[in-house]
Amino acid sequence: MTFRALPGRQEIVLLLLLIGVLLLAGRLSPDFLSARAQNELSTHVWELALLALPMTLIILTAGIDLSVGSTMALCAVAFGLYFRAGWPIPVDAGLALLVGAAAGALNGVFVAYVRVHPLIVTLATLAAYRGVAEGVSLGRPFSGFPPGFAVLGQGSLAGLPIPGLIFLAALLVTALLLAFTPLGLWLSAIGYNETAARYSGLAVSRLKFGLYTASGLAAGLAALLFVARRNTAKADIGTGMELDVITAVVLGGTSIFGGRGGLLGTVLGVLLIHETREFVSWQWSRDELNLIVVGALLILSVLADSLLSPRRRQ
Amino acid sequence: MPLIDRVTRQREWGVGTLLILTLIVVGAVNPAFLSVGNLRDMLVQDVPTVIVACGLTFVIVLGEIDISVGALMGLLATVMGLLTSPSRVHWPVAAGVGVTLLLGAAVGLVNGLLVTGGRMPSIIVTLGMMTVLQGVNQLLLNGQWITDLPPGLRFFGLGTLLGMPVSVWAALIVVLLSVLLAQGTPLGRRLYAAGSNPDAARLAGLPVHGLKLFAFTLTGLLTAVATVVSVPRLSVIESGVGQGFELLVVTCVVVGGTSISGGQGTILGSVVAALLLGLVRPMLIFLRLGVSATYWERAIQGAFILAAVLADHLARRRPRLGART
Repeated sequence: MTFRALPGRQEIVLLLLLIGVLLLAGRLSPDFLSARAQNELSTHVWELALLALPMTLIILTAGIDLSVGSTMALCAVAFGLYFRAGWPIPVDAGLALLVGAAAGALNGVFVAYVRVHPLIVTLATLAAYRGVAEGVSLGRPFSGFPPGFAVLGQGSLAGLPIPGLIFLAALLVTALLLAFTPLGLWLSAIGYNETAARYSGLAVSRLKFGLYTASGLAAGLAALLFVARRNTAKADIGTGMELDVITAVVLGGTSIFGGRGGLLGTVLGVLLIHETREFVSWQWSRDELNLIVVGALLILSVLADSLLSPRRRQ
Repeated sequence: MPLIDRVTRQREWGVGTLLILTLIVVGAVNPAFLSVGNLRDMLVQDVPTVIVACGLTFVIVLGEIDISVGALMGLLATVMGLLTSPSRVHWPVAAGVGVTLLLGAAVGLVNGLLVTGGRMPSIIVTLGMMTVLQGVNQLLLNGQWITDLPPGLRFFGLGTLLGMPVSVWAALIVVLLSVLLAQGTPLGRRLYAAGSNPDAARLAGLPVHGLKLFAFTLTGLLTAVATVVSVPRLSVIESGVGQGFELLVVTCVVVGGTSISGGQGTILGSVVAALLLGLVRPMLIFLRLGVSATYWERAIQGAFILAAVLADHLARRRPRLGART
């Protein structure tokens, strides 16, 4: 079984890197590691972390979803429109989630049933969903949401931030699904050899359709968290988010060719990117350094993995 | 092959027909759309997409991808601006342009080396490269704008030769050379062979790695060419240059009929698709749908891709009538 539950080499490398970053951070600026600072900084990570869960499963099947950032924008704008139309907040939120799931399902139909390469489908919807968001909102922001809604993004429960608890719940559900059902095995079978998976009787199309729909739903949830945190909904939110999410997943050791990977690596990948970024901003307050560090981290970690395991690609 | 078959089977014909129909329909609603001035403006707008799409077609035919071209264009614009601007380094324009072209080719070469020598998937390599280039660009720009571009440089963007803009000449030459390379040279045939079956190509003794290095380096170089002839049209260079450009170019190549899994696709298809997608924004303006219409540009571009993909799917379900030439 190639779907890994136990830590492999990539995860151990990531863990060591993460410890290295934290040790360095602790030396250079001890305040960075304080619970208060970490709690404060963690507000930036939850949307990324949430989107990384379905993305891991999609990449495990050798697929990809480039449209998650645009789906976030679409859901945020939908939420704003329903709110302005005077519906109560829970209805707005429910409808926004529904829009996300529908956007994901449209990707799923094209990928699973029309059988178009997911890179193409989600490239098209990357443009289309943001385009629709820009079109219906005319680029204008929605704001003035009630304070009760902000709790979703800014509140805390028993000392833990609410977005964090939502992420943990999603992580738990995904992990349990993978641990107690053959889902992980099925998905990596699809990633290794889709034709063989079809011939051995797996419901490949239905599984793929479900994954892309779940990814859209996660984007809807991420959009709600984002809007609740910033208290504004605009068609430009989530720009470039897809690349951050894919970077985290691939950094976490999930092979872009499918078949290999796991949640543990993704969680570590998200943590590593998050801590590195926040520390670079904290220490040097230069956001551009972040981009260089994260890009180099991605290339070097995959390069090391590829050079250490000869002939894996062939 | 009868015309109707060509239109339904060969993507450049289908996209070309759609292009002409759009021109006719919008021209009928608003004749100013077909004025020489507007057609020239639209062509000038399409130049960078057309030039880079030529290189990227080869990369995608080889079964790889390069999504770092937008960030590369941004960095190259900054480097070119910093080197030639009188208030910065103030090099001669020729030297600044030369360094820009070299840097573009060098970044493409590094992409190619990581893909071939490092045996890494190109989407990861160029995703990482894109992020690094964006960072370096912002570091160099340092939040400022470059506003005083020398007249010699602005000539590349604004000047004309024999009544046609310099940039359109550049695009024309690049397209002609690329078509020639793809269809008239052994190198071109090898590119397609290596793309349709890399293992067979390797066993037949083709230098698959060398071909990939060539395609990535060419794409980097063409990105630099596109930067030189398009960026100086604006009087300001800022950090937004090239943003989202990679997706536009990939879209053109794919809508133009190049298979994302390699081995298939034509330069002409990519070029016609670039012209078609370039019509969307001017079309929205000339149809006089009101100011808000331009907000739908990206939605319509996305719909074009999905339509192309669906049409392809439906065409393939019909029994084949004749062999593809």
